[in-house]
Amino acid sequence: MFGLTKDERMVILFLLSVALAGAGADFLAKIYSPSKTVAGFTQEIGKVDLNKADKSLLMSVPGIGEKLAQRIIEYRDREKGFCRVEELKNIKGITGYRFEKIKDFLKAR
Amino acid sequence: MKHVLAISALIFCLGIFLASFISVPFWLIYVLGVAFLLIAFSSIKNQAIFNTALFFLILILGAVYFANSLILPSCHISNIKYRTGAPCTIRGVIINQPQLATGKTAFILAAKQVQSNNLNRTCCGNILVSLKTRKNLRYGEELILEGSPDKNSSKGYSAYLSRQGIDLVLGVKNEAFIVRLDRNRGFLLKKSAFLLKQKIEKIFSQYLTPASAGILEAMVLGKKDNVPRLIYDSMVKTGTVHILVVSGFNTGLVSFIFLLFLKLLRLPRRARFVIVIPILLFYCLMTGASNPVMRATIMAMFFIAAHLIKREPDIYNSIALAALFILILNPRQLFDAGFQLSFASVLAIICLYPRLRRFCGAGKLQHSLLRYPVEACLVSFSAWIGTMGFIAFYFKTFSPITVIANIFVVPMATLITLCGFSLVLASLIFPPAVPFFANSIELAAAALIKCSTIMANLPYACFYL
Repeated sequence: MFGLTKDERMVILFLLSVALAGAGADFLAKIYSPSKTVAGFTQEIGKVDLNKADKSLLMSVPGIGEKLAQRIIEYRDREKGFCRVEELKNIKGITGYRFEKIKDFLKAR
Repeated sequence: MKHVLAISALIFCLGIFLASFISVPFWLIYVLGVAFLLIAFSSIKNQAIFNTALFFLILILGAVYFANSLILPSCHISNIKYRTGAPCTIRGVIINQPQLATGKTAFILAAKQVQSNNLNRTCCGNILVSLKTRKNLRYGEELILEGSPDKNSSKGYSAYLSRQGIDLVLGVKNEAFIVRLDRNRGFLLKKSAFLLKQKIEKIFSQYLTPASAGILEAMVLGKKDNVPRLIYDSMVKTGTVHILVVSGFNTGLVSFIFLLFLKLLRLPRRARFVIVIPILLFYCLMTGASNPVMRATIMAMFFIAAHLIKREPDIYNSIALAALFILILNPRQLFDAGFQLSFASVLAIICLYPRLRRFCGAGKLQHSLLRYPVEACLVSFSAWIGTMGFIAFYFKTFSPITVIANIFVVPMATLITLCGFSLVLASLIFPPAVPFFANSIELAAAALIKCSTIMANLPYACFYL
């Protein structure tokens, strides 16, 4: 069926041996690849960056509506950014109660 | 024996096919493979025994690769148990070019660490991330993101994703749930290919109307997102949608353009071929290395290599090499519609077209103006015959208009693609020439849309099965 010379047979068998050995090695690598426990890698995920967020992203935070998002952006542009989340208290409409409600969803980097 | 690779590829495919039906442990198939390898080695001087052993060895190798592809490592992302509805945090690297759609960004993330059920673990595997806002992310960016595993995907879609090596879909609410870590991961070559792709997209959108730019992006870059829905549907109906996919046709055009350009520079033939090989590889990466473009690139490289070593290229062996390359990397691609359609159409053209040409006496036609349309019609007819069964099975449609539609659409698509590549070159080398190419593209794209719409609306153009 194949009509190969002796040299060709040797080459083909070598290639097939490599392919078979490769599949076996890959199988073993999969079997012996346990999942290792590592340290937690983030605390800030899900927090909206006050210095980068656009209006719609700010509005995705529960407790921030369209008007408040607009005021935050205006404050950010005026003051050239936020240094701390606490600066939000300087914005009209953010009372102590509201600040407590939204502060965990925000960050200022 | 002339077609050794072609026969080997067929036996390998048969092995994969059989393994998909029979559930046998991996180690058992592997031991059988080793046994046949030993038999083949010991009977190297006896042709009959050697051939039989070789047949079974290749068959079993196909089965071994398929069985191995189904085994996932214990640290694989799909093996991790998630609490229903509970979000999980994943750290990983983007491994494709993110696709931006209206109000959505989708990309594939190679996971490295996962944080779920208050446990942080190393992991592996690819995840399809669907971010519910538009965000400019890039290939090679390392991210930490939080999202919920999507368990609502249909069975067919999940099977399709699994064949592509994706075993989890993760929905991310908005960009606040993504932290960008490092932007310089990934391969430099792939990164440059995607950067060039973005630049070309920008050139198209700068000089062309949205509809024409969308069509050209699909034809030249393999990006179908911006093709207007109505045009896409009419092309599906007329069976001409293949022109919106980067395939052998585009790879051939890229080779042709660069070989011609290098010839103008008076480079020797061998040097031209050597330069074109990396260009084709780069183009393959740029268009996302899908099955059709990978097949075409390997076949083109096979032909060029044959010319370089002054050997007669064998088309059956070249297509077999392409199939083996794709299947060794991922044996489950054998069951992918794209793989089957791509190989079926090329095989049908290779096998049927010369016979039909002889039967119709197309070669005897003296006038090229008469001969070319007849030949084009026969090529289109051969591809239609080859893919008809697959299209009916997967898409439940039968389009008798396909052959006629392709005769009109393919020349226009060729013109658009050629002008598209020329537009890119002109915008980089000689910008004043850009309007000429842009206008030609607009005209040809308008004609293509009109032609496709008229054909789709003809009675009995398409039947839904």
